[in-house]
Amino acid sequence: MTSVLATVAALLAGVGLTAWLEPKWLGANGERGPASPVKIAADVRLTQPDPWLYYAGPVIACMGVSWAMVCIPFSPSLVGNDVNIGLFYFIVVVDFVVLGIALGGWGANTPDSVESCYRAIAQLIAYVIPLGLAIIGPIMMARSLSTVHIVEAQANAQLWYLIPQPIGFILYVISGLMQVYRAPFLEPFADPIGRGVLSVFGGWKGLLWRLALSGVLFVVAAMGAVIFLGGYSGPFLPGPVWMVIKTVGLMVLMIWLGRQVRLLSVAEMLSLSWKVLIPVGLLNVLLVGGLILLGAGQDPFSPGGGH
Amino acid sequence: MPVKTPFLLEEATEMEVSPVLQWAAFGIFAFISIAGALGMATTMSMFRSGIFLMASFIGVAGLFILLLADLLALLQIMMYIGGMLVMILFMLLFSGDPGGGMMSTHMRLRGPEWFFSLGLARSPSGTDGNNANDSSDKEEDQRDQARDSHQEEGEKEESNDMSMFTPAKRGAAGLALGIGVLLIALLLWRPHWAVVAQMPDPDSPRRIGHLLMDKYMIAFEGAGLLILLGIFGAVLLQRPGKYPDSAHREELRAAVEDAPAPVKTDPLKPLGLDRDREK
Repeated sequence: MTSVLATVAALLAGVGLTAWLEPKWLGANGERGPASPVKIAADVRLTQPDPWLYYAGPVIACMGVSWAMVCIPFSPSLVGNDVNIGLFYFIVVVDFVVLGIALGGWGANTPDSVESCYRAIAQLIAYVIPLGLAIIGPIMMARSLSTVHIVEAQANAQLWYLIPQPIGFILYVISGLMQVYRAPFLEPFADPIGRGVLSVFGGWKGLLWRLALSGVLFVVAAMGAVIFLGGYSGPFLPGPVWMVIKTVGLMVLMIWLGRQVRLLSVAEMLSLSWKVLIPVGLLNVLLVGGLILLGAGQDPFSPGGGH
Repeated sequence: MPVKTPFLLEEATEMEVSPVLQWAAFGIFAFISIAGALGMATTMSMFRSGIFLMASFIGVAGLFILLLADLLALLQIMMYIGGMLVMILFMLLFSGDPGGGMMSTHMRLRGPEWFFSLGLARSPSGTDGNNANDSSDKEEDQRDQARDSHQEEGEKEESNDMSMFTPAKRGAAGLALGIGVLLIALLLWRPHWAVVAQMPDPDSPRRIGHLLMDKYMIAFEGAGLLILLGIFGAVLLQRPGKYPDSAHREELRAAVEDAPAPVKTDPLKPLGLDRDREK
C-alpha cells in the first residue's frame, strides 16, 4: 500500500513539475501542442458526443501514465513494484495514452477531434518500433528487463549506458519525443486542428488530459534516465535527488532539441521512422552486440557476466 | 535443453493473494472478455466494435496474468492495442457510416444491440431514435439532422443495405451458446487433463526466450522472414506505378501535396523545399 501511495505521490509531483515547467519554457512563440492551455474552470458543451468513449478517453490515458509510473525506481526500495519484465511492461502500458487519445478524439465527435484521433493512431505506427529498438540495447547489456537491475548493472560497471550506446540514446530521444507528442512531432495537437482533443474537453476531463499529457513526458524522460543515465546512482547525493535531476535534465534536453527543428507532419514522421530510425536502430543493436562480445559494459558482479 | 532450476521459495517475488481476491479478479476479467465480445458483435458503430474487441482481448490478458504468464499477457495487450487501433483506422476509412449513427437511428434495436448502441449520434431534438418505446414515425422526418463528423467519411445516399444486420445473427448466437454449454459441460465432466505438478517458473521470459532461440529457432526466424517479405510486398505494391492514376486520386494527391497552412509564429527559416515556395 505504501508503494502505491509513493507511486501516486511521485507521479503527481512529476506532473506538477512538468505542467509548471513546460509552458514557462515554451513561452508564446510557436505551437505549444500538448502543453497548450486546457479549460479546467468550465466544461465544454458538445452537441453530439459519444457518451461512453468521450468520458473513457481521458480516464484511460491517465491510467496508462499511472501504470507506467509503477516500475520507475527512485532508489532500490523506492519503486512501486520492481516488475521482473519492467521495461517491456513500460512500453506496453504507455500505449494506453494513445488509446485514450483515440477514444476521446472519436468520442468528442467534432471534425477536429476526430482528425486528432486519426493522427495519434498514425503516429503510434511511427514510433513504436524505433523505441523498442532503442530500449533493446540497455536490456542486452544489463541482461535483464527489470528497471532496478538495469540501474544496478550500470552502477556496478561504473558506466552509464549513454557512453557505449550514443546511437541508442539519440534514437530514444527522437522516438520518445514522438511518443509524448512534443515538438516537432505535435501534429495530433497542432493549432490548425484547434489543438485536437484539448479543445473539446473541459472541467475534470481537461484536468485529466493535463495530467496524462504532462505525465507521459515525465515518465518517458524518467525511463530514459533509468536506462541511459544510470538512474538513481550517483555520488554525494541521495538516490531520489539524482533521479529527479537526471529526469528533469533529460526532459529539458528533449524539449530543447525538439524546438530546434521544423514541425513534422505524420507522413514525414512515418518516412523518417521507416527509412532512417528503424535501420539505425537495427545497426545499433548490432553494434551493442559487438560491444558486449568485446566485454563492454559488463557487470563484474553479476553471475552471468564477465566470461 | 538446459536443466530446469527447481523453484526456490527465496526467489518468489509474487505476493500471496487470497482466494477471494483471485476469484474476484477472475470474475472481472471473464466479464470483460465476454461483455466485450458481445458488444463487438452487436453494436452498430464500427469504432465501438473495434474497441469492444480490444477490451475483450485485454480481459483475456488479465486471465493470462492470473495464470502467472505475465509476458504473454503483456504481449497480448501490446499486439492488440496497436493492431486494433490501426485496424479501426482502416475500417473507418473504408466504410460508410462508421459511427453507426444512421444504423442505430433507423432500425428498431432491442436487447444487447440496443444497449451497446446507446448514445450513438442522438438526434438533436432529443428523441432517442433507438428507444423501442418511441413512436418511430418521426424518425424519417429527422433524417435531415446536421451531419456530424462520424458520418462524413464515405457518405452514402440512402442505401437500404443494412448488411450488418444479418438474419444469421440468431443462428450464430445459438451456435456460440451451444459451444459454450459444451465446453462448460466438459469442465464439469472433468476428464483427466495432463496437469504438471510444479510451480510456474518466476522467470518465464528467460525460458520463453531460450525456447524461441534454441528449440524453435527455425520456425521463429522463418516467421520473421515471412513477415519481412510481406512488408516488402506491401511497399512494392504501393510504389508509384507506370499507369496513370484516376482523376479522383489526382485530386487527392494535389490536396495532399498542397502547401500546408503556415504556422503563424514560426521562428525558423523555410527549408527551401518545393512546397514551401509561395504558389
